[in-house]
Amino acid sequence: MNFKKQFNEGLLTKNPVTVQLLGMCSTLAITTSLFNGIGMGLAVTIILICSNVLISALRNFIPSQIRIAAYITIIAGFVTVVDLVLQAFIPALSESLGVFIPLIVVNCIILGRAEAFASKNGVLASAVDGLCQGIGYTVALVIVCVIRELLGSGTFGGGLLNGGEGIRIIPAQYPAMQMVMPVGGFLVLGFVIAGSQWLMKHLEKKNKKKEAAKV
Amino acid sequence: MKTESNVKYVLRLALTLLLITSVVAIALAGVNSITAPKIAALNAQKTQEAIEAVLPGGGEEVAFTDDTGLVTTVYQGNAGYAVQVVPSGFNGGITMMVGIDQSGTVLGISIISNSETAGLGAVAAANTSAGEAFRGQFVGTSGSVAVSKDGGQLDAITGATITSRAVCTGVNAALACVANMG
Repeated sequence: MNFKKQFNEGLLTKNPVTVQLLGMCSTLAITTSLFNGIGMGLAVTIILICSNVLISALRNFIPSQIRIAAYITIIAGFVTVVDLVLQAFIPALSESLGVFIPLIVVNCIILGRAEAFASKNGVLASAVDGLCQGIGYTVALVIVCVIRELLGSGTFGGGLLNGGEGIRIIPAQYPAMQMVMPVGGFLVLGFVIAGSQWLMKHLEKKNKKKEAAKV
Repeated sequence: MKTESNVKYVLRLALTLLLITSVVAIALAGVNSITAPKIAALNAQKTQEAIEAVLPGGGEEVAFTDDTGLVTTVYQGNAGYAVQVVPSGFNGGITMMVGIDQSGTVLGISIISNSETAGLGAVAAANTSAGEAFRGQFVGTSGSVAVSKDGGQLDAITGATITSRAVCTGVNAALACVANMG
């Protein structure tokens, strides 16, 4: 098990949003305020860790012919638990994310990690994988949120800071409303993916130079 | 290697899945029994707050007649009626409470839940100056209401005409319902 490698993969080189392009539905739909991004990221991270651990623990018990059905049942169970707990204890977040909490069931990140990682690796490694992929998802979401909120509503930290209104950076009459609508989601996501690709290339070059200097 | 018979094989798959689904179902039943009363209490409290926000002194649930199919509950108090309506917004139903006095004049509106677009339609329900200004326009109106785009007297929320129209539809349904009750 290599924590640093897994963390690096989750955050950048195999980021679920910018590289694997999984979970696009929630990424595009809810990224309109910082509160939504952090809330959704945490919910997915918790579910991802739980389902990865359980699926990894049961990987030798579940026959491969019915694995998808079994995984989905387990994932749906955890999602429903999170949904009920949010409704009961954090109603503001539950209201803000609405139908996208139940829709985590079909978020491909979770089934994807179950199939690609948890079903082939130990419990601890799977837990770490869930955490790292979850952090990668949250970071990508938060970046998209911050950009869309700033350009679309002219604020920072909507739903969290300044009594829920967010800190106003651009005066109310200027922001481009399209940025909080679907078209803005696609635009920002495209630029964020391009940015992460550039960053990866940049880091790769740097590493190569370092190695060349060593030789 | 000894192979399983077909019957045994199918049974094994079915029983494994049955076991997993049963365990998940039992766990969910457990969580639900803890959260259900809490969620019900939260919803009841929200409804109560909404009634009191639009109808001073609150009210008791009464029977009603409704032709629009949008009214879900009517509460009658000393000051008039609080009508809960669910018009269709941009992203599904908007649950809202409309307070109307005995003479058929709107006392105020309060939005209980909605799934409108954040920053646009959601402004209608937000506790911000823009949200309060939008909801405040309905106070004192009677008969029927409409946004200025449809020849009415109200200013729609910028970029959220559909949500504004939906709120008007809800208020109209509530007004019609109270008019029916005499």
